[in-house]
Amino acid sequence: MTQAVVTSGAAEVEPGAISEHGHDTNTGVSNSKLAIWLFLSSEALFFGAFISTYFLYRGRDAQFLKGPTPDKLLNIPFTSVTSFVLLMSSLTMVLALAAIQRGDHTRLRIWLLATCLFGATFVGGQVYEFTEFYRKGLHLGTNMFGTTFYVLTGLHGAHVTIGIIWLLLLWGRSMQGRLPSDKSEAVEIAGLYWHFVDVVWIFIFTAIYLIPTH
Amino acid sequence: MTEGTDLVTLDPDATPAAAGGGELVPAGDHSPVVAGPHHPGPRQYVLIAIVLVILTGVEVATSYLEGHVNSNLLIVALAIMAMVKFFLVAAWYMHMKQDSRLFRRLFVMGMTLACIVYGIVILFFSSTTLKS
Repeated sequence: MTQAVVTSGAAEVEPGAISEHGHDTNTGVSNSKLAIWLFLSSEALFFGAFISTYFLYRGRDAQFLKGPTPDKLLNIPFTSVTSFVLLMSSLTMVLALAAIQRGDHTRLRIWLLATCLFGATFVGGQVYEFTEFYRKGLHLGTNMFGTTFYVLTGLHGAHVTIGIIWLLLLWGRSMQGRLPSDKSEAVEIAGLYWHFVDVVWIFIFTAIYLIPTH
Repeated sequence: MTEGTDLVTLDPDATPAAAGGGELVPAGDHSPVVAGPHHPGPRQYVLIAIVLVILTGVEVATSYLEGHVNSNLLIVALAIMAMVKFFLVAAWYMHMKQDSRLFRRLFVMGMTLACIVYGIVILFFSSTTLKS
C-alpha cells in the first residue's frame, strides 16, 4: 500500500495511492469525485455562455425592449423568497451528508426529502413566474429579453429538476437499505451538483433581477 | 471539526485511508460509520447559511437603491456580494477548503476559462451594433 502525505488538514495523496474512499486510483482521489468536479467545471462554461449572452443583449438593442420589458415584469420580492428557499436547500443538503457520514440514516432521509421539497418549491415558483410572464405577453420570441430570460432560467430550472430526481433516487436507495454509510460518497457527489446549481442561481439572480437594466 | 456528532476523531499523523476520510468504523446498526474528511460540522453549516441569508437580504436591499446611487457603484457592490456568496458555498458546502487541491484546481480552471472566454466575447461584441 502506498503511503500518502497529509498536509494541513487536506489529504494530499501521491499518485497510485489509496483514494479517500479506499480504492486504488491513479490520482489518489476518488474517480467519481474527480468526474463530478470535471463535469461542474464544464458546466461553468455552459452557464457562462448563457449568462454572457444575456448581458450582451441586455437593454442595448431595439429587439430587447420591444414588448414587455424587464422592469415591468420582474417581481424581485417573489424571486428573493424563492432564492432564499434554494439557499436553504443547500443547507439541508450538507446536513444530509453530515448525517450519513455519522451513520444517522433517519436524519439523512429527512434532510434529503427537505432538500427535494425546497427544490420543488423553487421550481414551482419558476413555473408560476413563467406563467405570469406569458400571460403578460412575454413569449420566447417576443424580444431578446424573453429569449435570453427563458433559456437561461429554464435551463437552470431543468438542472434543479434533475437534482430533485437524483436526490429522490438516493432517498429511495436509503429506504431500501442500499445506501450504507460507506457509500456516503454517493450523497456527497449529488450534493456537489446541488450546490453548484445553487451557486449558478446566485449569479443568475444578481444578473437578471438585481442589476439595474438601464 | 465535527461538532455534535459521534464521528471518530482522526489522528492527523495517520495514513490517508484514516486521515483523509473513508475509514470504516463498526457501528451498532450493522452499518459502518464513515469517518469523513475534515468537513465542518452542522453548526458551521448553519452559521454559513445565516451569513448567506443576510447577504441575500443586503443584496436585495441594495438593488432598491437604483436611482439614488451611481449605477456602476451598485453593480460593483452586487457583484462583490455575489462573489462572496459563491465563495462561501464553494469553500464550505462543496468542501473545497477541505478536499483535495486537485478538485479545487479543476473547478477554478473551468471558472477562469469561462471568465476569460466570455469576457472577451462581451468586450468584442459590446462594441458592435446589433441589428433589430
